[in-house]
Amino acid sequence: MRSISFILRHWTTALGILLLAAVILMALTAHLVFPGDPYDMVGAPLTWPGESADTLLGTDSLGRDMAAGLFYGARVSLLVGFASALVAAIVGVLVGAFAGYYGGWTDDVLMRITELFQTTPQFMLALAVVAVLGPSVTVIILSLSAVSWPAVARLVRGEFMVMRERAFVHGCVVAGMSDLRIIFAQILPNVLPVIIVMSTILVATAILMESALSFLGFGDPNVLTWGTMIGMGRGQLRDAWYIIAIPGVALLLTALALNLVGEGLNDALNPRLKQRKG
Amino acid sequence: MSDDAKSAILLDRRQLLLLGSAALASGALMPYAASAAEGTLVMTINPEPNAMVSAFNTASPVAVISGKMTEGLLHYDFDLKPQPALATSWEIAPDGLSMTFKLRDGVKWHDGKPFTSADVAYSIMEILKQHHPRGRGVFAKVTAVETPDPLTAIIKLGEPTPALLYALAGWESPMLPKHVYEGTDVLRNPANNAPIGTGPFKFVEWQRGSHIILEKNPDYWDKGKPLLDKLFVRIYPEPSARVAAFEAGELHLGGDGPIPLNEVKRFQDNPAFKVETRGTEMNNSLDVLETNLRNEYLAKPQVRKALMHAVNRDLMAKTVWYGLAEILTGPIPKTLPHFYSADVPAYPFDVAKAEALLDEAGYKKDAKGTRFKLRLIYPTVGDTYDRAGQFLRQQFRKVGVELELQSVDVPTFIRRVYGEYDFDLSMFPASVTADPSIGLQRFYQSGAIKQGTPFVNASGYKNPEMDALLLKAAVEPDAGKRAAMFKRFQQIAMEDLPILPLVRPIYVTVANAKAKNFVTGPEGVRSHYATLSLD
Amino acid sequence: MSAPRRNLPFRFIGKRILQAVLTILGIAIINFFLLQLAPGDAAEALAGEAGTADAGYLANLRREFGLDRPLWEQLATFLMRIATFNLGYSFRYGETISTLILSRLPATLLLMATSIVIALVIGILFGVTAARYFNRLPDRLISLVALLFYATPPFWIGLMMILVFSVWLGWAPTGGMRDITAPDGGIAGVFDIARHLALPALTQAFFYLAIYTRLVRAGMLEVLSLDYIRVARAKGISEQRVAYRHALRNAVLPLVTVVGTNIGGFLGGAVLTETVFSWPGIGRLMFDAMLQRDLNLLLSILVLSSVFVVIANLAVDLIYPVINPTVELR
Repeated sequence: MRSISFILRHWTTALGILLLAAVILMALTAHLVFPGDPYDMVGAPLTWPGESADTLLGTDSLGRDMAAGLFYGARVSLLVGFASALVAAIVGVLVGAFAGYYGGWTDDVLMRITELFQTTPQFMLALAVVAVLGPSVTVIILSLSAVSWPAVARLVRGEFMVMRERAFVHGCVVAGMSDLRIIFAQILPNVLPVIIVMSTILVATAILMESALSFLGFGDPNVLTWGTMIGMGRGQLRDAWYIIAIPGVALLLTALALNLVGEGLNDALNPRLKQRKG
Repeated sequence: MSDDAKSAILLDRRQLLLLGSAALASGALMPYAASAAEGTLVMTINPEPNAMVSAFNTASPVAVISGKMTEGLLHYDFDLKPQPALATSWEIAPDGLSMTFKLRDGVKWHDGKPFTSADVAYSIMEILKQHHPRGRGVFAKVTAVETPDPLTAIIKLGEPTPALLYALAGWESPMLPKHVYEGTDVLRNPANNAPIGTGPFKFVEWQRGSHIILEKNPDYWDKGKPLLDKLFVRIYPEPSARVAAFEAGELHLGGDGPIPLNEVKRFQDNPAFKVETRGTEMNNSLDVLETNLRNEYLAKPQVRKALMHAVNRDLMAKTVWYGLAEILTGPIPKTLPHFYSADVPAYPFDVAKAEALLDEAGYKKDAKGTRFKLRLIYPTVGDTYDRAGQFLRQQFRKVGVELELQSVDVPTFIRRVYGEYDFDLSMFPASVTADPSIGLQRFYQSGAIKQGTPFVNASGYKNPEMDALLLKAAVEPDAGKRAAMFKRFQQIAMEDLPILPLVRPIYVTVANAKAKNFVTGPEGVRSHYATLSLD
Repeated sequence: MSAPRRNLPFRFIGKRILQAVLTILGIAIINFFLLQLAPGDAAEALAGEAGTADAGYLANLRREFGLDRPLWEQLATFLMRIATFNLGYSFRYGETISTLILSRLPATLLLMATSIVIALVIGILFGVTAARYFNRLPDRLISLVALLFYATPPFWIGLMMILVFSVWLGWAPTGGMRDITAPDGGIAGVFDIARHLALPALTQAFFYLAIYTRLVRAGMLEVLSLDYIRVARAKGISEQRVAYRHALRNAVLPLVTVVGTNIGGFLGGAVLTETVFSWPGIGRLMFDAMLQRDLNLLLSILVLSSVFVVIANLAVDLIYPVINPTVELR
């Protein structure tokens, strides 16, 4: 039983890496596989997948190739997801670490700022920012990171609050280690697994939130993302559900891949779990 | 934590779990019976109206709900001929400077007070002329409303206003009770959200975000009507939810395109539903591109003509509007046959011609095949404009014009286009209404260039011949002469092209097959619905 | 449980309430200026809906709404309204804001409470089970289900549920909060609402459920490897007791944070579910207010949700030391 699950575990991680690699490959080779303009009408509108040899995944309501959209959409969706998660993780870790470690007025000030960002419900704030600045990819990334970092900050702060009471941290303080070193070299590695799990969630959340913004009509109309594909196709849910299903499955698989990879990383990076497995 | 405290929490959890599963079971196991009681009908209005009376706000949803409770002096038939409503007969003086209305006897307001000519005078002079967004223009020439007796109202005009006769429906120019409004802050009057009208339905309840309930007016002047006991209006923000509600039988009626365009064909083929394409002939909302003539490229007539030639509007109507669109030959649609003219400069789809015109204008293609860039701004309402924008971008790209799409919300659109003139091309629904003097003069007459005022001439277009023609047509009492003037108007409009007309989208009304009389005239879902029924 | 220095929580709460008031004041001012940046105002929004308007009409509206006043005066008026709990009128609806909010709040609170409770109960159960069967079949299955829930856009799940349960099976209504054609009240009314609530609550719960399961599982694994759990196990305490009593309590710290965030953010976060299911809640009211530049209403809702978040955060901080005594209140 143990060995089976051991294989299973590595198999899912491998699957995650494979899927993620496939998506990244799609993004990188979009212009080679589909040299034409992905917005061009190449066939009759609403051709079902498999109906025509030219467009294997069918066409959307404007006769555009779904497969081309999927490849080019991977670029922007990944960009939006990773860029906003990265910004959010960096800001969140910095704020959370200092607040949790120092406590006192540092904590007060940083948490007040975090609260200011958090006092407006996440999705509403993202919507408001996009509504005020206009829907473009940059604005969408900005808005998604603006609403994501406080969650990271609070999580990291909570972890740091616990960690700083641990014996090994007291030991470091007694040994005269600098605060920055304790934070980044001693505590942060211990908190990293949680941050990694959180970050994979953040990437997936950002990609999903982008699709939600598009669903409400706040996507960037100039670029193809899986979100805009779903947003534009939602009117066809009943009679041509593949238009939503195909980018939906792409979203789902990407989010799945990110999570599997995140878990694999978590296992690899978390020394305590390694002990347990051994 | 003490063990007692903990077990209390566990107990709570268990109870909550039970409650939760009860909620699930009730949803999952009991078949949902979607049945309306006898004499009731559920319709939807999208988006939710923000007021119940259309005197202060002319948004389409407000007109739909208001039209059930408030009445106007007239109704209209499919030929747009006026029909009796609160007025039983009317007469226009030969000089066009006065209009005499004989009022219906025995009409009562919902609160039981009698309806008289004093109400007509008050409604026009104190409400419509002052506060109605369109009425301020339509009634501008009204100098007084004389009331020689309680059942006669005479509208006095400083100048003939032939268009006025087409603006007297209950949903457009509602008659309101003087005794309720006089001496109050009319904009904050509670009756604006709980109307007191003369219509077949009385207001019962408005649960914002959820529903509106209207009930039969038992004292309605048309005895035996309305046929329904109750009219429910349910709000569904999401179009696919409306499709599902129609299919589940929960929803019986919706107008102004309640379902996504691509679903219409399926509903038309399904015997459980009726789909009506008429009933918007008094609105005539057109989808057009307005050009900003302050833009160096668009200032050249060749460029505007080239853009018209560059668009395959047949294909556009088929793909973007799923065939539910009339391709326009000019700014007046065929739904206004007494004004329409096909004898205008035409711009068939012709890429070579478009390229030649652009070359002639002096804009050569660069290495990438691009001549110049334009921005296209449009309001985010549904996804049709997104699809139209992406279609146009592909078509323009073929002739070397790059289009940047700017999808913005309505207030942003209005501020950018009409407040700041910060646009190159704007795509929006231009409502022609039933009369071009009301609906089109504002876009083509240079006197209507007023920065900060929405839905007027934003292109900066000025042609002295056009200006004079439109001003003359607005006060011409003779119908034949007026039609000739508007024929000439269409020719100049299509030669100068400050606005590139695309299509008139057909907004369908969808109903359950059991519904009857849901579109009885050009007023469509805005009608009073006294004869609406569900068998 | 040890409770050192009994009076501390009260001083803590007093300090936090002061902070909360300042935070809310701050967010009110920031929101006020952020929304001033939005192009177009309420008069233009109404004119846009109306399809027509002349300059005089717009000027009347702006005077009516107080939008012709200097900015600082508008801000002062707004802050005064909040301070006196008299929120004034909505531009768009011509109705007092308190009436509008109160009529929509119960729907949102009901949806929130139901979905979070469902998500918490199932999430903790799933998370603990997964952690106990770490890397074995139940863990794999639960993790997969959680991942699938997580990786699917909630609005899409909602649409699919309507398709399956309302249209195909006819088990549940497609939207709304109650059957408007039926008389309300009584036990039938409660069941009617429950039936309408089921799909939106589940849709919303699926999303939280995925997060909670993952967090509980990750937290449990972390804790299960710590020394004192091994000690507990060595003492012969049953796995069940170890899992729920000892490990879980320490593992829920991140969970409490996230649940707090979810509760605080729910007012606006439910806008998607409310849209898909035509649920007459605050999220949709706020969304519409934003599109309409109904700033009086929008700012009032934003301030209300700030109050919500502040209370949720305060609760989280108060719960921390209860769960984990090594954390001190400051």
